Amino acid sequence: MGHDFDRSRLAVGAGDLWEEATRARFLDAVGDGTLPEEAFDRWLVQDYRFVSGLSRFVALTVAKTPREAQRVVIGGLAALDEELEWFEDHAEERGLDLDAEPHPVCRRYVDYLIAAGYGEPMEVLLAILYGVEVAYTVGWGRLEAEGPYAEFIERWTHPDFQAYVAELRDLADAHRHPDQQEHFDRVMEHERAFWRMTWEG
Amino acid sequence: MSGSADLHRRLWKENADLARASLEHPFVQGLAQGDLDQDAFRRYVAQDAFFLRAFHRAYALAAAKCGPVTPLAILRRVESLMTGVLDELDLHAGYAEELGIDLDRVDPHPATFAYTDFLLRTAWEGEPGEIFASMTPCMRLYAWLGQELEEHDHPGNPYHEWIRTYGSEEFAGLADEMESLLDELAEDTDAVRDAYRYAMVCERDFFSAPLGRGE
Repeated sequence: MGHDFDRSRLAVGAGDLWEEATRARFLDAVGDGTLPEEAFDRWLVQDYRFVSGLSRFVALTVAKTPREAQRVVIGGLAALDEELEWFEDHAEERGLDLDAEPHPVCRRYVDYLIAAGYGEPMEVLLAILYGVEVAYTVGWGRLEAEGPYAEFIERWTHPDFQAYVAELRDLADAHRHPDQQEHFDRVMEHERAFWRMTWEG
Repeated sequence: MSGSADLHRRLWKENADLARASLEHPFVQGLAQGDLDQDAFRRYVAQDAFFLRAFHRAYALAAAKCGPVTPLAILRRVESLMTGVLDELDLHAGYAEELGIDLDRVDPHPATFAYTDFLLRTAWEGEPGEIFASMTPCMRLYAWLGQELEEHDHPGNPYHEWIRTYGSEEFAGLADEMESLLDELAEDTDAVRDAYRYAMVCERDFFSAPLGRGE
């Protein structure tokens, strides 16, 4: 992998939260092939709702980002559009209703992102976005890409996705702000809660 | 700006279950009986001060979205409600001094963040009607709780001041003001109903947080 995200400034600064946000019963069960379908379906619908909110957050980030950083974030936004489509295809295959109510945990996470997207400065938004994406690639990256969910594991461990996350890390480091850690930590808290929800319902 | 005259009444009625859940909540009953743990009240005041700052911002965003031809009378009412929040914050500063709380160093509880993030998300993204729908429960619920608790209140209750404030005619007037703005600015839409109900849920959960039961 080579990016060593575990040792990035914000991940180290998050302390125990970093581990708690990137390790989950849900992921372990994906890895050893014991994940109940019902949990996977719940994750798929809620993650779709989350990504819909995330794409609005990233659009707000694009609007606040200086020119030299925009290419990276605009690229991320385009990838999310493609990801939403990919979720829609999978949901159709599995007969899932993507308009289902968001779980309260999902709702809180999106409320947080949108409120921050409007109210916080660009430097903080970059730290938040790095947090969201790095937690995902590291969490899924602890698994071997095999078993019934190999396609999903591959998606978030793909070298292109990891290169994007590394660029976000570098942008957050290049545009420092004293509130970055606090918000990175809040993202980790939301990630931890989200994983618990996918497992427990 | 059509609105619907009875909207506030319908929404309040439809959410009576959540209003009752707040009234019967151990925290609120602790205020009523006067036996609420003082540390829980201390935590509550700190969280509420953090919350009220977000509430004040939400008013400001609603006012900013009211559009150039909004009658001045409406803007004046919004302004008086904003002043009401500042008065409430003064009250909290008084409690804070008495209880030895530093309101500038509040560590918000997840239930507090859930509520303020919801309010601010709605305030930034929503139309004024939806914004007021997200804000009305806080006003009406507190006015109602204050009045309910006042029936058995007595000056010996350590929380007499809190009950007197929210049970006062002055506070009821602010809640009325808020509801009339809601009626004038909001339509009866799914977004409006959802915002109102979710705010009621946040209110109930807010009372659990200082007892160490919130998540």
